[in-house]
Amino acid sequence: MSNDRALAAWALATFHATFFVLVFVLLLYSRGGFGATLASLNTLVGLGLFVALWGTTLVTTRRALRGVDPTGGSVDGRRLSRQAIRWGAANGLAFLLLIAIPLIIGSIAATPPGGNPLAVVGIATIAAPFALSVASVIGALSGLTLSALDLVLIGLARRIAL
Amino acid sequence: MELDPNVVHVAIRWLHVAAMAVAFGGSVLVLAVSMRRTAESATVVQVAATYEWAFWAAVGVLAMTGIGNLGAFGISLPAPGTDWGGTFELKLMVVLALVLISVPRTLALGMLATTTSAERSVRTMRRLYGGTSGAFALILALAVTLAHG
Repeated sequence: MSNDRALAAWALATFHATFFVLVFVLLLYSRGGFGATLASLNTLVGLGLFVALWGTTLVTTRRALRGVDPTGGSVDGRRLSRQAIRWGAANGLAFLLLIAIPLIIGSIAATPPGGNPLAVVGIATIAAPFALSVASVIGALSGLTLSALDLVLIGLARRIAL
Repeated sequence: MELDPNVVHVAIRWLHVAAMAVAFGGSVLVLAVSMRRTAESATVVQVAATYEWAFWAAVGVLAMTGIGNLGAFGISLPAPGTDWGGTFELKLMVVLALVLISVPRTLALGMLATTTSAERSVRTMRRLYGGTSGAFALILALAVTLAHG
């Protein structure tokens, strides 16, 4: 990957992760009661979740840009959208797994004496198909939406430069 | 071992300010380099490209620590209908707009180096980084208003 393309992937991945989170925060805050939600979360866990989302988005954005050069002469919009849907879904799944695995391990470790630690695994197994489906659909839709936005921004970049 | 929440919040605030210094200071630096009469187009593009890597890292850190800063308020976070809430929503919208317009700025950099005349390339970069610095100045003003009223 050339330096320009590597920079483009880094910029687009960070843009996707921050734009997604900032829109989410703006919508939640505007509805009210966001302070109570924040108070119930651990700050370090929140930071860790953002780093996890940033990391998975960086990996999947790089994959989605394979064969597509956002700094080149022309971009195949259909190809970018197809790859964005596929890798957006993968991002949703990867992020879910990064949240779920520590949660499951933590719950097993925190099982009180006399309890059955494997009960958590049973619950996780039942919930997994539903959770994985929701995560992949949200990821795919986000990928499609962000790829449409990317195409507009790539067009704007070309108008600035040419 | 439990970390003191105050230490965590001060560390997050420091990180937020440091990231802002990198992003805002860097854009002013690129603008200053592009304003020099003796600066060559290739040099300005090189400085700008280095800045863009740091800019996007800073954007990620600013978003992450910004939410961490909100977390420090907890349930005492002012409601959206208040003056503070209105300023906060305005700041978030300006940040979103800056992030959005920064994508074409970053992508245009590679194209500028190869497709346009050196003089036009420097002129375009002056406008791009002048606009970025202006947007950062506005965000900083809103942040100072939120912090000190």
